[in-house]
Amino acid sequence: MLRKLIKHEFRATGRIMLPLYLVLLATAVGANLSARGMLETRYVALDILGSLLVVAFTLAIIGVFVMAFVLMLQRFYKNLLQDEGYLMMTLPVSIHQHLWAKLIVSAVWFAATVLAVLLASMVAAYDVGVFKEFLLIFREFFLGLRMLKISEALNGTVILAEAVVLLFLAMVAFSLQFYAALAVGHSYPNHKMALSVAFFFGFQFVIQFLGSMLVIGLDKIGAFHFLDRWTLTPAASVHVGLLICIVGVVIYGAIFYGITTLFLKKRLNLE
Amino acid sequence: MPALECKELCKSYGRTMALDRLSLAIEPGRIVGLLGPNGSGKTTLIKLANGLLTPDEGYITICGRAPGPESRRDVSYLPERIAIPTWMSAKQLLDFYGDFYEDFRRDAAEEMLAHLNIAPDQRIKQMSKGTREKVQLIVVMSRAAKLYLLDEPIGGVDPATRDYILSTIIGNYNPEAAVVISTHLISDVEKVLDEVIFINQGRLMLQSSVDEIREEKGMSVDALFREVFRC
Repeated sequence: MLRKLIKHEFRATGRIMLPLYLVLLATAVGANLSARGMLETRYVALDILGSLLVVAFTLAIIGVFVMAFVLMLQRFYKNLLQDEGYLMMTLPVSIHQHLWAKLIVSAVWFAATVLAVLLASMVAAYDVGVFKEFLLIFREFFLGLRMLKISEALNGTVILAEAVVLLFLAMVAFSLQFYAALAVGHSYPNHKMALSVAFFFGFQFVIQFLGSMLVIGLDKIGAFHFLDRWTLTPAASVHVGLLICIVGVVIYGAIFYGITTLFLKKRLNLE
Repeated sequence: MPALECKELCKSYGRTMALDRLSLAIEPGRIVGLLGPNGSGKTTLIKLANGLLTPDEGYITICGRAPGPESRRDVSYLPERIAIPTWMSAKQLLDFYGDFYEDFRRDAAEEMLAHLNIAPDQRIKQMSKGTREKVQLIVVMSRAAKLYLLDEPIGGVDPATRDYILSTIIGNYNPEAAVVISTHLISDVEKVLDEVIFINQGRLMLQSSVDEIREEKGMSVDALFREVFRC
């Protein structure tokens, strides 16, 4: 059932995100043309058009990121807590499946948006003097990778994998904080959205307060003294740092996952 | 085994008691009118049966199971508002129902859509309010469910549409299933009912077959309702 939920979630969101990516690529082509010869010409109209194309590309980049974020919020709110909730919450699927479908699809769109912006930036920079030199640095970087030892290459790959996992988990946890605030806010009969916003900032405050207290508390009892005795290689330090971040993000996300599922199961209050 | 059973069921919203120790059972093969004035607890009972609300006390079961993902396979639910995603086309809506419900009869749904001259690629947002309601009813009644829970299916529609809705219900429900029709428009639904349940202020006032009411009390369900709920 999760697969089916994901399929329909992609169908609902893809109709908005995919055309936006096309707009982004079109504006990237425009920005490329602009950078090649439409700026600082003898013709004012051409200069203005060139500037507008660059502005359009910048707005398109902002637009796709904003839309990926808005869709993450809107699909949860509109699809589960508004009128569509009467259909979705009576499907033969569990709350966990609903939540994972939303989280996975949102994370995929966030990642796809980053890739689309990178691709669009390459299109905008293609064969343009200033950017050419910039791209050469990348070329040298990839050539340099060939000179690495096996242990270094392995470490680099694992660090990259850890960073990707951390990024995915961070996106999921970030979404869950919004979902939890919406689920709690919408369990009340009135002022649902205002309460959702209040709960979002309330959660933010509580998590920061508890996090700070935890770090200060652990420091006071000497829990970090072991770090002084550790003699780690730079690569090992990065591994440890990333793993600590992953554990932290998992705990952070798990708290909001628990709140969201609890309120959707026990305190659902559709209008 | 009853299609729907509840025992000492209580649900309150703050200080307002929506259901107050409600106990009843609905057997398969019956078309039951869940009747009561506005705010009597009809929608709350249906929401509890769908697992959209959690009881404060007592229990409710669907074909012997507590409401949850498993029981929802057996229930076909028509909410009192338009819940189908309006960005979908009629065809996409049928795909959606076909994906999630094994008992969905796509051919029956397509036949009913064709009868209403609704093009499969027409988006729901492009349809009139009345047509949207009909499309929602069509997908709900195209399931071979064990329990149909229809919340105010004829509220807010014109008399011609009411007739269409009632004929669609009668012409398409699974005869081995129980159909619960919640409404306060009794005279319109009376002709299709086997049984009625009167509830008021969350309490059961009466559960009886329509034939018994006519024979023993010598009056129509509508007349009895007016007598019981006289202001």
